[in-house]
Amino acid sequence: MKLVFPSHEFDEAVAAVCHGTASDEQMRLLNELLRRDPTARDEYLVRVELHARLASESDLFASVASESPDLGSGAIRGEFFTQGRQTTTRDPVLGSQARWMLALAACLALLLGGGWWARYRLLDDRPGATSRAVAMLNRVVNAQWTAADPQPHLGASLEPGTLRLESGLAQIVFYNGARVVLEGPAEFQLVSSSKALCRGGKLTAEVPPQARGFQIVAPRMDVTDLGTAFGLNVTGARTELHVFRGNVEFRTEPKAAAQNLKEGKGAVVEGAGEAQIVAADPRGFASLFDLQAKSVAAEAQRYDRWREANERLRHDPSLWIHFDFEHGSPSDWRLPNVGSRSATVPDATIVGCQWQEGRWSTKPALEFRSVSDRIRLSLPGTFESVTLATWVRVQGLDRKITSLFMSDGFESGTIHWVIRNDGVLGLTVIGPKADHQILTSPPVINSDQFGDWMHLAVVIDGHSKRVTHYVNGRGVSSHALRFAPPFQVGTAELGNWNPIGFPGNDPFLIRNFSGVMDEFSLYGRPLDASEIQNLYTGGRPQTDVPTVR
Amino acid sequence: MSQNSPHRSEDQAAAQQRFLSLFLRSEREIFRYVAALVPNVADAEDIVQQTAMALWAKFDDYDPALPFTPWACRFALNKARQWIERHQRWRTLLDGGLAEELARRREEMAPELETRLKRLENCLTRLPKEQRTLVEGYYYRREEISQLASQAGRTVVSTYKALQRTRHLLQACIQNAGEPEGNKL
Repeated sequence: MKLVFPSHEFDEAVAAVCHGTASDEQMRLLNELLRRDPTARDEYLVRVELHARLASESDLFASVASESPDLGSGAIRGEFFTQGRQTTTRDPVLGSQARWMLALAACLALLLGGGWWARYRLLDDRPGATSRAVAMLNRVVNAQWTAADPQPHLGASLEPGTLRLESGLAQIVFYNGARVVLEGPAEFQLVSSSKALCRGGKLTAEVPPQARGFQIVAPRMDVTDLGTAFGLNVTGARTELHVFRGNVEFRTEPKAAAQNLKEGKGAVVEGAGEAQIVAADPRGFASLFDLQAKSVAAEAQRYDRWREANERLRHDPSLWIHFDFEHGSPSDWRLPNVGSRSATVPDATIVGCQWQEGRWSTKPALEFRSVSDRIRLSLPGTFESVTLATWVRVQGLDRKITSLFMSDGFESGTIHWVIRNDGVLGLTVIGPKADHQILTSPPVINSDQFGDWMHLAVVIDGHSKRVTHYVNGRGVSSHALRFAPPFQVGTAELGNWNPIGFPGNDPFLIRNFSGVMDEFSLYGRPLDASEIQNLYTGGRPQTDVPTVR
Repeated sequence: MSQNSPHRSEDQAAAQQRFLSLFLRSEREIFRYVAALVPNVADAEDIVQQTAMALWAKFDDYDPALPFTPWACRFALNKARQWIERHQRWRTLLDGGLAEELARRREEMAPELETRLKRLENCLTRLPKEQRTLVEGYYYRREEISQLASQAGRTVVSTYKALQRTRHLLQACIQNAGEPEGNKL
C-alpha cells in the first residue's frame, strides 16, 4: 500500500500523528510520502504548525474562552496528567552543582510542566475576567436552595440572577452595603448592587446611609429605601411592607405617586386593591432577626462536632502527627502534637506566624504572611504509605510555588506538598538516585476560593504505588508513582521550605504560604476515599458549604 | 572559587533568573520547533522539558550577544533526535533524514507560516460554538479526549474526527481569509 497526496488517507494519518494515535503503518507510509513528495511535505508542515500553535498560544483563546478553567467543578478527573511530568537528573553524585541542577529541575518541571503556568498567567490577564458580582452570600442557617439551580456557597460572590431558597435563612450583602436576610421559601432576584426583585417570601433589609436609594421591587410594591430597616412579606397576591426604623418610599404602580412610610408603620396591598396603612408588626419577622444568634449556635455545634470527631481520631495508631491548633498560645512557640504518637514525635516549633480566627470564630489558627513564617517539625522513621491532610484558607498564590508541607532540601524518599500559582496541587517525591517525580492535579484552586476554608489531602500509597489528590473530600486526580517505598519526612516545614544547601535569598526558592491553617494531620498509612470524605464532612466550617466546588 | 561560597551562590541565583526569563520567553517557539518533528503535544512537551534541563546545564556557554531562541533550538533538535532514537514509532515516521528535512523546510517556510497564522485568532472566533468548545477543551484546557467525548455525547473516535475537521476549517480560514468566496467560516 502506498500513501498519496492529496487523499483522505493522508488527512487521517496527519491527524493521527498530531493526536498521538497513529499506527506504525501510518507512520511508515507517511514517512515514505513526505520524503518523496515536497508538496505533501509542505502541507504536512502547515497542518502540524497550525496544531502546534493551537497547543502553545494560549492568548489565541483569550477572546474566545467561554468559561474560566475551573476544572475542579467537573467530575473526578482521574489520571489527568497521565504523562506524569517526570524529570531525571542522571548525576549519581550529589555535588553542589548537581543539587543545584536538581533544585532547578524541580522548579522548572513544576513551572513548565504542561505549560500550565504560562497559560494561566495569560488567562489571568485576559479581558472579561472581571467579576459581574453585585452581592455576596455571607451567612446561612440550614439554607436549602432549589436543587436544580447552581448552589451558592457561603462567601460566594453573587452575580445578577435569581436565588430560590426553599428553606432556612440566608443573608446577602449587596456591594452598596445593603443587607438582606431571606427566609425560605423565597424567590429573590439580584438585579444590580442596589436593586433586587422579590417574587415571593419573607425578607428583612437593613440599609445603611451610604446605601440609600436601595430598591426592592415586589408585586404591586416598589420600595425605595431612605436609610432604614424594613421587612417585606410576599405571599401570593398579598404584599406587606413593615418599617422598623427610618423611613421608606413605595409605589403600588410604576407611575403612581410615591408614598412615604415612617418608622412603626406598615402598608399592605392585596390583589388590585389600594394600599392599607397598618401598624408595623415585627413579630412576623422574628426568625429573620434571629439569624445572628442562630448562626452562632450553628457554628458552635459544628465546632463541637469537629472536636468529637477528633477524639475518635486520637485512637488511630497511624496518626503520627495531628496539630489541631487548639493547644497553642500566643506566648508559646510550641505547637503540640496531639496525635496518638505524640510520645515519640516531638512538638513542632512556630516561627513567626500570627494567631488568628480559624474555621469557627472561637477556633485558633495560625496565619502565614511573611517570608519567614513557618512551622518546623521533625518526624523520624520511614513509611510505606503517607496521608497528609490540612484545613487551610488560602489568601493568595503570589509565589510560583507555595509550600503546604515540605521536607527540608531534597533527601531521597522525602516529599514536598505544594500549590502552584495556577491553582494546581503538586506532590513531589524525591527518588533514590537524586531523581524525582512531580504528581500534579488539574488546577483546583482559583481566586474565587481565596478566603474560603478548604480541606486538602494527598495520599501516597506505597503498596499500590499511587498518589491521589483530594479537595474538600473529593478525589481530583490520581497518578501512578514511579518510586517504591520507603518514604520519609525527616525535618520539614508547614507553610514554608528550608532548601538546605541552596541560598535562602533566591526569590526563586521562596515558597512561603500566604494564608491561614487551623489543622494538619499526617497518617502513616493510605487513607481511603471515604475516610478522607469523613475528615472533610467532620470538619467543614458550615453544613452549607457544598462538597464540590 | 568554591561553589559553596555565598558569592558563587548569588551568581548562580542571578544566572538562574536570567535563564528562566530567557527560556520562558522562547518556550513556545521551542515547543513549535519540536512539534514540527514530534507533533503529539504531550511528547513534544516532554522533549521541551528535557531541552530546558540541557540548556541550563550549558547556560555558561551561551553568548548573551546572540539571540536565545536559535541557540535553544539547536539543543531542542538534539533532544528531539535522542528522544526519537528511543521511540520506535517516531523513528519510523522520521527516518531517512526526514527529521532534518522537516526542520530545514520549516525554517524556509517560516515567514509564510507566520503571515498565515496571524489570522488564526480571528478564525477561531468565527468557529461554530460546538467546534470552538471542542478546540478550547482539547488545546486550551487540555481535557482528556474521553472527557470531551462524553461531554459532547460522542465516541472518542468521532471526537478525534471532529477535531480533525475543525482544524481543517481553521486551515481553510487562514488560507482564504481576504477571499470572501473561499471563506468557509
